[in-house]
Amino acid sequence: MLSKADRSAAFAVAAALGLFFIGGLLTTVVPPLVDKSWSRPAPGLRPYTEQELHGRAIYVREGCWYCHTQQTRTLVSDTKRSGWRGVDSPISTPDEFVYDSPHMFGTKRTGPDLSRVGGKYDTQWHRTHFRNPRDLVPGSVMPPFPWIVNDEKEFQALVAYIQRLGRAKDWRPDKDYEK
Amino acid sequence: MAQGSAVQPQKGTESGAPPLHVDTTAKWFLLSSISYFFIVGIIALTIAAKFVWPELLGTVPYFSYGRLRPLHVNGMLFGWLLACDMGISYYIVPRLCGVKLWSEKLGVATAVLWNIIILGAVVALMGGYNHGFEYAELPTPLEILVVVAWVMYGVNIFGTIATRKYTQMYVSIWYIMGTVLWTTFVYPTGNFAVDFTTGVNQANLNWMFVHNAVGLIFTPIGLGIAYYFIPKSSNTPLFSHRLSMIGFWSLAFVYVWTGAHHMIHGPISQWLQTIAITFSVMLLIPVWAVVYNFFATMKGQWHQLRENVPLKFLMSGTVFYLLTCFQGPMHSLRSVNAIVSKTDWIPGHAHMALLGCFSFFAIAATYYIVPRMWNTRLHSDALANWSFWCMILGGLGFFTTLWLGGFWQGWQWNNPAIPFIDTVKALKPVWLVRFFSGTLIFSGIVMFAYNVMATVIGRREYAQ
Repeated sequence: MLSKADRSAAFAVAAALGLFFIGGLLTTVVPPLVDKSWSRPAPGLRPYTEQELHGRAIYVREGCWYCHTQQTRTLVSDTKRSGWRGVDSPISTPDEFVYDSPHMFGTKRTGPDLSRVGGKYDTQWHRTHFRNPRDLVPGSVMPPFPWIVNDEKEFQALVAYIQRLGRAKDWRPDKDYEK
Repeated sequence: MAQGSAVQPQKGTESGAPPLHVDTTAKWFLLSSISYFFIVGIIALTIAAKFVWPELLGTVPYFSYGRLRPLHVNGMLFGWLLACDMGISYYIVPRLCGVKLWSEKLGVATAVLWNIIILGAVVALMGGYNHGFEYAELPTPLEILVVVAWVMYGVNIFGTIATRKYTQMYVSIWYIMGTVLWTTFVYPTGNFAVDFTTGVNQANLNWMFVHNAVGLIFTPIGLGIAYYFIPKSSNTPLFSHRLSMIGFWSLAFVYVWTGAHHMIHGPISQWLQTIAITFSVMLLIPVWAVVYNFFATMKGQWHQLRENVPLKFLMSGTVFYLLTCFQGPMHSLRSVNAIVSKTDWIPGHAHMALLGCFSFFAIAATYYIVPRMWNTRLHSDALANWSFWCMILGGLGFFTTLWLGGFWQGWQWNNPAIPFIDTVKALKPVWLVRFFSGTLIFSGIVMFAYNVMATVIGRREYAQ
């Protein structure tokens, strides 16, 4: 039947688009209609504050997301690695991300995953770490970000964003979050 | 005929009339894309060096890793590869249709607009104006210009096809038509529709674009080019028309379903992951149909590879295509994905597709058409051969170290007893080898770019 597309450009166009749209619509438009958990916020999830949004914009601008994923996958090792002080982290679920745009799930993990980093390190740690990561983590290949630390407003905003990551599930047993 | 078939001067039209094809548009696209290949190659080396020496250019915001990486990706994807592929299609389509390009004026305007977009992208990305989506990092105004340029390109291609003299359309034409059509929907999904969604829904649209930027933009235009130049440069007819139809129509149906395989084990519905895995495995059908067709075309002709540089690039590109498209379906399996996903294996895989396969096809076509378009001989066959060996050895060094290193990294991640920083330190030798392999690839790029520019600038016209 498709040999008709050899001679008729109109037929080729129609067939190429028709075949494409079956999968195109079924995998982009239909899934959010079927799975409502994609758009329902988690019970503990609140929208970002203005400062956190500013921090998030810095995270996007500096391309942090090229090296840090934000998803604790359904793998035991991920729940251990995102865990802290002997407690495993809960896995990431769609309802934790409904206020995220652009999403920061990431594809490459050059540095550790950050989906549960909120509350693990205090502000002073972050200040030193952004100035030169190797002062705190020998062997790290993270770039230094002196221009963020030198701008107190930017630095505070970025830390505010980092400290809320993964906190919607309030997963620490003793609420031992750092500030 | 095998002997340097790429360098035979082009015969004009037999009657002595002025040549049918002026190729101004193709020339503009090729020359600018090759310049970006060189310039962005420097960016690529810089970010590879940053893995080895993290402090390098560390205090200058414009040169930080997070800003140069998107510049590398977008520069190579849109500045080099897509622009070169578009230039080549401006050469192929009129010839397969037996008519002039529909409008050279529109074509040149497209080339100018494309260059404005790429230069705008350099400024925007180094300035930190990042849209925040992989492969779709350009700020919205530039993305709108991309759509405008794409429509201009599409009008020209379809205008040429609509006025064609030969009714029968060769495979390459279907692939190039498919590229124009699918991109028109895939690109806005990844660049505009994402802005109206959030979270997992947005990620799903983003990955639909990322996967299909490769699968429905670079793959069909790259294969269209290979379908034209493998028979041309080996002077051998294509093995099977039927197989090429199976390859094309299964690609049209299967590719678009697989976006969610970027989030396997992640926070996205399990059933959608399973659909993406199923269709990812089905990708083997279009891939093997195409690869078998290319190999069967070369049956009895392999000896030509000794002398024919474009054919060397084309056939090694085909082998890389087979390999990278075997990896893809395998990564999507949950068990394999648990090891390789998010590791350095993935850049190894991505570079094999876009450098090892599709850039090799584009380079082959460039070596073939540049002497013909300018009616001259290639500046140096020996240098072309050297560019091939530098790129393939550098490429193999790059791909294999990242696969081995990435696999090893994945095993280490799956043992939570190993602190994360130790898995970083373990990769340092891998990144050093990657940097040196990159240097070798870059030398190949320099030789390629120099050879083309020297051919164009120092050309001697060959009388018919």
